[in-house]
Amino acid sequence: MSDWDIAIKRGVEHNVPRVFNVLREHPYLEELARKVREGKLEVLSNLDYYIEMTMKSVEKIGGKAYFAENSQQAREIVGKIVGTGKRVVLGKSMVAYETGIRKYLQSLGNEVWETDLGELLIQLADEPPSHIIAPAVHMTRERIRELIKEKLGVDPGDKHEDIVKVAREFLRQKFLTADIGITGANAVAADSGSIVLVENEGNIRMSSVVPPVHISITGVEKILPNLEYALYEALVQAAYAGLYPPTYINVTSGPSSTGDVEQKRVSPAHGPKEFHLILVDNGRRKANEDSILREALLCIRCGRCHFHCPVYRALDGKWGDPPYSGPMGAMWSAIVYNDYKPALLCSHAGNCREVCPMKINIPKVLEYLKWKYFNGR
Amino acid sequence: MINIEQLNFIRKTVTKYLMEDYLPFPVNKETCYEWANGLNIKKGGSTILYTGCSYQLAELGKKFDEILPLLPKFKSIEKFSPLAKIFLKPKNERVNKILRNVASILRKAEVDFGYLYEEEPYSGTILLELGMLDEFREYAKKLVNFFNSHEVKKIITVDPHTHYTLFRIKEMLDWNVDIVNYFQLLKNVKIKGEGTYVFHDSCLYSRFLGMRDLIREVIVSSGIILKENELVTGKETSMCCGSPLAPINKEISEKIAKTRAEALKSVSSKVLLACPFCYANLSPYVESYDFAEVVKVE
Ligand code: SF4
Repeated sequence: MSDWDIAIKRGVEHNVPRVFNVLREHPYLEELARKVREGKLEVLSNLDYYIEMTMKSVEKIGGKAYFAENSQQAREIVGKIVGTGKRVVLGKSMVAYETGIRKYLQSLGNEVWETDLGELLIQLADEPPSHIIAPAVHMTRERIRELIKEKLGVDPGDKHEDIVKVAREFLRQKFLTADIGITGANAVAADSGSIVLVENEGNIRMSSVVPPVHISITGVEKILPNLEYALYEALVQAAYAGLYPPTYINVTSGPSSTGDVEQKRVSPAHGPKEFHLILVDNGRRKANEDSILREALLCIRCGRCHFHCPVYRALDGKWGDPPYSGPMGAMWSAIVYNDYKPALLCSHAGNCREVCPMKINIPKVLEYLKWKYFNGR
Repeated sequence: MINIEQLNFIRKTVTKYLMEDYLPFPVNKETCYEWANGLNIKKGGSTILYTGCSYQLAELGKKFDEILPLLPKFKSIEKFSPLAKIFLKPKNERVNKILRNVASILRKAEVDFGYLYEEEPYSGTILLELGMLDEFREYAKKLVNFFNSHEVKKIITVDPHTHYTLFRIKEMLDWNVDIVNYFQLLKNVKIKGEGTYVFHDSCLYSRFLGMRDLIREVIVSSGIILKENELVTGKETSMCCGSPLAPINKEISEKIAKTRAEALKSVSSKVLLACPFCYANLSPYVESYDFAEVVKVE
């Protein structure tokens, strides 16, 4: 068995039964998933309106909002806010990967660190991620030990706990001295301009609260009509990803603030003094005009479809254009990179459709993309 | 990972063969209907048993997948065709036995059906499954006309791919026909089976056609004992045999088959299945049997 085969087998054996258990123990989650689908469809059916509403809401609470047509615009916006010679901590964001933020900021002379453990390993190895939730799922514990030894100069030993400890010590110092924190967003509430982030490690809290500037970069499809739905999204994403209850859910509404002096709300307080939200299009609005491809925009990136897909499991995590892998990645490669080829590898097993919390008919979307490929569309 | 030249070859050649000959590649037609010899099934009729030559071509398809990477090198399919007709003519007693058994089960269930013998067309599955939808639609129109001209009103399928394909044609075109799978006709017949197996679900039967429970009921009521494991045979967890990927990439297809076979073996050493393509892909790695080859009618 190759390293991948061992790693993915272990990953599946840990994740799949755990998600089943979570859903059995908390039956309300299915209902919440249904609501999230509903909310997302509501936004998609009136996307430009909701983008505008979100941007206005962000400005209203003292943040700055931007709309980026494509990756290049997204990079330029981030580049202008960050500048050069800064230390940047990144919370895992697929849109940041999609738009090439880390490498771009490095090229401007900034020191940039991924703070999600899996993503840090990906950065250290300079490899593309292999799973949307667990980017380093292709690495065995043995390989990770070697990598840390080589790149950080410390031998963490063989135990999972010790590997995590070494990473924690390394990153803590980066968090405390960072100038800028960049995160994605699991959901954005159009009515309040809040972003919701769900996590377990605590790195997103640190990235979004400790540095004086917080930038959130995300796709326009992450908008939900209001904060209630956005919070549901976080719960559903965590559950179907398999870690439930999530250790942390973060709601960020603008820069830090306080109302403690005579109840007047003033900003900043102890957290960031600036908050920036960048909403990225990069093919999403075009996909939204296509009634079949629109379904793919409902994806909440739980990564569950990956673990149930025979093709993803056979393909060394290299199915789709990074960071978009697996069944969802075959759809998203088409949306953001105009690459229809990954869809050709779908064997229409249909497991992905069975397990998707958003009830996306993934095989149907992929069949359609195959057709588009053969017709040069 | 994907050989586009190979895919384009399939697209061009398979379509050409289907449009001309109702079969996806050059093959001696006897291969498709020899199973029915001596059974006295009437020719044609408003209800037909339709194999779509699926069982008969599954093993052959595997050979085709093996030589596929070489085929685009033939300047034209005409040069390849006489050669292919010679060596693509398997004698498949196992498949014949399965199809004969299906026919006798249906007779026992008092289903009145005919068969189209040498005229029986292939369903077009390969085009549909590879996503060559324009070509598929074109062939589907031809197929609908063919069945209509034979006054076929009800089609009994014997494998999931053909069943699903007809179902999709019905969805795409205006076609007044009843499509039913043989498993759906077995309520009134006592089938006898024995032994302990793990059942490998066909993805199409289980997740696209809603026949998962029905098939299990038929199997278990025959006396066969099925071993289950939530992580191997569950609706969301049972995996594809890899066969649909064979024309695209044989290595990936085989890797999926090996992994699936290992998982199935962890539940039971003997695997029962109900799809010719699953059999073709899995049988090199695990002891496999089609449902229709291990049961008898009483
Ligand atoms: S497609 Fe569905 S299962 Fe897959 S990552 Fe997206 S939401 Fe999760």
